[in-house]
Amino acid sequence: MTSVLVIEDDDRIRLALLLALEDEGYDAHGAATAEEGLRAQRRNPADYVLVDLMLPGLDGFECIRQIRRDDDVPIVVVSARDDTHDIVAALEAGADDYVVKPVAIKELTARLRALRRRARAAVPAVTEPVPVLAFGDLEVSPEAGEVRRAGNRVSVTRTEFRLLCELAEHAGRVLSRQQLLQRVWGYDTGDERLVDVHVGRLRQKIEPDPANPEYLVTLRGLGYKLQR
Amino acid sequence: MTGPRPPARRRLGLRARVTAAFAAGALLLAASMALVSYELTRRSLMDERERTAVRAAYFDAAVVRNGLDTDDPDVVEVLRSLDTGGSRRALLNIDGDWHARTADVGLTAAVPEELQRLVGAGEPAVQRVRVDGQAALLVGVPLSGSATYYEVNSLGELERTFQALALTLTAVAIVVAGSGAALGWYATRHGLRPLTAVADAAEKIAAGELTARLDPATDPDLTRLSTSFNHMVDQLARRIERDRRFAADVSHELRSPLQTLAAAVSVLQRRREHYDDRTATAAGLVADEIDRFQRLVNDLIDLARSDQPAHRATVDVAELARRACVERDLPASLVRLTAGTPRRWRVEQRRVAQVLVNLLDNAIRYGAGPVAVRLSRDGDAGVIEVDDDGPGVPVENREVIFDRFVRGRAAHARGTGTGDGTGLGLALVAQHAAAHGGRTGVVDRPGGGARFHVTLPGSLP
Repeated sequence: MTSVLVIEDDDRIRLALLLALEDEGYDAHGAATAEEGLRAQRRNPADYVLVDLMLPGLDGFECIRQIRRDDDVPIVVVSARDDTHDIVAALEAGADDYVVKPVAIKELTARLRALRRRARAAVPAVTEPVPVLAFGDLEVSPEAGEVRRAGNRVSVTRTEFRLLCELAEHAGRVLSRQQLLQRVWGYDTGDERLVDVHVGRLRQKIEPDPANPEYLVTLRGLGYKLQR
Repeated sequence: MTGPRPPARRRLGLRARVTAAFAAGALLLAASMALVSYELTRRSLMDERERTAVRAAYFDAAVVRNGLDTDDPDVVEVLRSLDTGGSRRALLNIDGDWHARTADVGLTAAVPEELQRLVGAGEPAVQRVRVDGQAALLVGVPLSGSATYYEVNSLGELERTFQALALTLTAVAIVVAGSGAALGWYATRHGLRPLTAVADAAEKIAAGELTARLDPATDPDLTRLSTSFNHMVDQLARRIERDRRFAADVSHELRSPLQTLAAAVSVLQRRREHYDDRTATAAGLVADEIDRFQRLVNDLIDLARSDQPAHRATVDVAELARRACVERDLPASLVRLTAGTPRRWRVEQRRVAQVLVNLLDNAIRYGAGPVAVRLSRDGDAGVIEVDDDGPGVPVENREVIFDRFVRGRAAHARGTGTGDGTGLGLALVAQHAAAHGGRTGVVDRPGGGARFHVTLPGSLP
């Protein structure tokens, strides 16, 4: 059974989300503070983490950062705040997706399913060996779920890895933000900032000079492409 | 949005009235000045002329008297000896017989009986007469006994002088009146300049530019106007901002309890089949209303933040429109891209997506479903049109329909409406169009139904 950790300080919202998620077939657990959530995730890692941004004590941004230190679990922010600043900050901290309250349970579970597809896709069950894709000293091996730069393993989250694979499979071709949103996040129409922030995070990890990318380049007004 | 309607019968503008008053005043002044100076000049010249004529006549009369004072005077010779120049003509009447230097019959007839009698009685006299259609001054001097002497002074030259004078003065009066009008026009333009500045600022503010202010330092006499105007705009901006923030705050505060409701009601909905009919109906109502409540809150939040300018990027609007149709279970073939219209527009994707979805929802709710979604171009503007097959929108509702929360009234007027809209859909459409500098409107579709259109300027090369 897929497990979900809900870090939410509002008791009623937490209870209602747990009830609804259990109804949808998830093994859902709650935490009222970031500290409690971090402890729970370390002791008994869940498959997904839902986190609110406004938490007493340690806030949601810091909570995401701390989880990300040693965990690539998909993190979805569920917040009443919808200004650009918060969304970008949460994604930069390491969140995979962002939904604004109130979110319908159907929509929330659809987001989780999209993330699960990605999580599975990261470890494809194909028998045929998938070749390692190489770009200069950058190597992406879809089968092993590994990224190496100059031979050293680079730690990326599952969403970052999925994004990189998508770009690597279409190396040399431009993918628009909408195409990436659809293929990586499963959105028909979504927030393009998701793509931009994830590309930014990826560049920090794979580019020698993230300010002047040589692998993952932006084509203004069109999208992104991975240089052959 | 429409400007103020001009009144059916327009009064003359302030500027035209001031200009006319200036012109009339200048004309009156110049005309009376001209009249007075003409009259004074004429009188003094005339008097001068008369004095000269009388003096000359007396002198000539003395010469004639001396010439006649012989035993056998040659009257014609005496008259010829007079140095009368070109403008004077002498006449001598002796015992009722006229004598002149030349045979000048018409001249004698010009001497009126009255004057003859007066002079005959020994009184010198002066009279203005007309000779051969020309003005002349007639001076009569009694000589002795039955002889009288007359001199006819032509005034033709003087008359011509007067005519020239009158002409000049009239021209001056007209020029002065014209200058008065020009002065009035200029003065009102100067005087109305602050009002023009106020009008410009007010228009900017009405167009949403709440930072527009008057420059308080331009004119010390108008400081009060600009200060109070700026103060008013400050107050207005503050109030609008407060209202906007209140709406946003309320909506945000509603989000958390709504999240609880949304999650809890999904639990209720999952167990629908275990309920009896009454409970199931009630649970269904709660679920529907929570759904509507969610959309309302989202629309309100969108509305509260959507009065910022659009963040444009290149967007495949045709694809966006097809996706919007498919999401609403409508065939993607509804979308038609007219010839010569590119698929990619420079617009804000989120806003245009919402415009499309809201117009489709509107057509579904109130217009018996959309029958066409047309994308065309009008210069550099992309135009989105959504046709429906409903009863159309009455002319009197065509503006109010884009206001907030008019769904009730407008839906009622349209005779349909399932009542599950938020009443903000078309208001958001209008606001998204305005964020692109564009407009929205609705007309009758040829063949029945309504045609909603949204113009997005600057979205095409």
